[in-house]
Amino acid sequence: MLGFRSVAGSRSTLQTLTRKNQMTFNSLRYFTIPFLPTLPQNPGGVKGDINDNLKHPKSDKLSSSIHWKIEKVLAIGLIPLVSMSLIQGAGVSTLVDLSLSYTLLMHCYVGFQSCIIDYIPKRVYGHWHNRAMYLLTLGSLLSALGIYEMNLGDKNNGSVSLTSRLWTSKNEQVVEEVAK
Amino acid sequence: MFMLRNPLLASLRSSYKPNTITNRLFSINKNLLQTPAKGQEILLKQRANRPISPHLTIYQPQITWYLSSVHRVSGVLLGAIFFGVSIAYGINKIYDFGLNDDSLVEFYKTNVPTWLDYTGKASVAYLFTFHFANGIRHLVWDKGSGFTIKGIYKGGYSVLAVCAVAGSYLFSKAF
Amino acid sequence: MSSVITKRITQITQLNSILVSKRFQSVAAPANLKTFKIYRWNPDTPEVKPKMQEYKVDMNNCGGMVLDALIKIKDEQDGTLTFRRSCREGICGSCAMNIDGRNTLACLCKIDSEKASSIKIYPLPHTHVVKDLVPDLTQFYKQYKSIQPYLQRKEFPKDGTEILQTVEDRKKLDGLYECILCACCSTSCPSYWWNAEEYLGPAVLMQSYRWMIDSRDEAKEKRKEMLQNSMSVYRCHTILNCTKTCPKGLNPGKAIAEIKKFLASA
Repeated sequence: MLGFRSVAGSRSTLQTLTRKNQMTFNSLRYFTIPFLPTLPQNPGGVKGDINDNLKHPKSDKLSSSIHWKIEKVLAIGLIPLVSMSLIQGAGVSTLVDLSLSYTLLMHCYVGFQSCIIDYIPKRVYGHWHNRAMYLLTLGSLLSALGIYEMNLGDKNNGSVSLTSRLWTSKNEQVVEEVAK
Repeated sequence: MFMLRNPLLASLRSSYKPNTITNRLFSINKNLLQTPAKGQEILLKQRANRPISPHLTIYQPQITWYLSSVHRVSGVLLGAIFFGVSIAYGINKIYDFGLNDDSLVEFYKTNVPTWLDYTGKASVAYLFTFHFANGIRHLVWDKGSGFTIKGIYKGGYSVLAVCAVAGSYLFSKAF
Repeated sequence: MSSVITKRITQITQLNSILVSKRFQSVAAPANLKTFKIYRWNPDTPEVKPKMQEYKVDMNNCGGMVLDALIKIKDEQDGTLTFRRSCREGICGSCAMNIDGRNTLACLCKIDSEKASSIKIYPLPHTHVVKDLVPDLTQFYKQYKSIQPYLQRKEFPKDGTEILQTVEDRKKLDGLYECILCACCSTSCPSYWWNAEEYLGPAVLMQSYRWMIDSRDEAKEKRKEMLQNSMSVYRCHTILNCTKTCPKGLNPGKAIAEIKKFLASA
């Protein structure tokens, strides 16, 4: 519970009301991620009056239509790469392996970003949203490094070969035991 | 009390105002004095009390949102595995702790019990084929086709069928 | 001759009295009781948690739709039951609620009186409840207003005649203009559940599309710019609960897919 108080100033409406009015049912705020403090939210989910105009956020193509186009290009690109890797198995060329892994990495990044925007929205969690995105970006950079290492490092034969080996690893074990 | 209520005796009260037409038109009952600002205050207080109606727990299980949630969950799990392995290799590049293909396969063979191996591979096989097939279904939607209720259900069932067949085939390869 | 007539008259009178007595006979058929479990919450006692209350209604004396049953309960059993209703014919959109897990209009939702199972009635999902089955749709209406749902043109015909439109262009509006803004689709969307303050929701987006593709409207680019951000449209992940639940048979999911295509085009 220390985590709640240590982040400055973010007390949710629910927390304030719970303490004051002893209302214990949790329906004032839907699912909150445990231990993540929330910003105070608009009561009743409405900001202002019925006649106050709703302002749309500033138009930003990069985070909207361009982002969507990139998402679809990545998804379409993954189809032949994954099919080729599944069919060819461990014998795929390094080029296919690298492009599959990097496309998959970007696809995962976009996917996780969508989850973060949906479940850790900035409106509710404030700077924790940004921290989640930084964590994701950091992980992606490390992952990019790891993919390079997996394909071009010593003793490593690429992600497809690794997956294939791990998939049939129990077979190898059985074969070894039989051989013994 | 009788004095206050009786109109005849009320004229004896000090605060008595005769019921003339002017008095009736211009007297204000201060208890009822309400401004829009006060009304808004009351509304905000009421809004803060309102509960949120139930959603996930009561909404009818339908192929629409069930498959969509499985798509998301499978994506997150598979992504977590992908990130986990590749980040491990990435960290190994910076601080070498002896990770490479052979050592990872060895680690897997020795440390992962058979039951975990089978459940893990079964889930990965089925979730991966589901996510792949449903992904194609999503791309068909993004093109603009398949938006009838029949189309949604046909697509959903065919994805499940493909997932069952291809997933089982992939899983069988693990033996 | 007269004896035949009198005999006939007595016959008719006898038959008539039998019919009359049958009509005023108390309902001989046993009462066909159907259980309704309804969500109740009173803002006058806000500390009391919302709960489900059971009512039993005789289907032999009740109209066929859920709204008939609700009105019967309010009339005969519990006058405090609160819900919105108006036209009782599925055109005003007031009685939108969650019946047996699906969002529909209560006036169009048939009660299956043969089945013994109870009917569960909840307000529209993930809305702030004003009382019992009445949701607060303020945010929904504000979002609708924000997309400027009216014709915008620089010039109108000088002689006061109508703005001409081809038959093909008018056909494009079919399936879009019939929306009654009941909010069934928006409140069935999990994305709208989690982000109602920023995501516009299927109903509002479908109306936005309706104005975008209206050939008489000249504000297409302005409407496009309004939606170019990460939350207003792109929280839609094609879950398609909206298309499944629309009580008027409309297709908001398809409209949103077309919006995305339009936004992505240059």
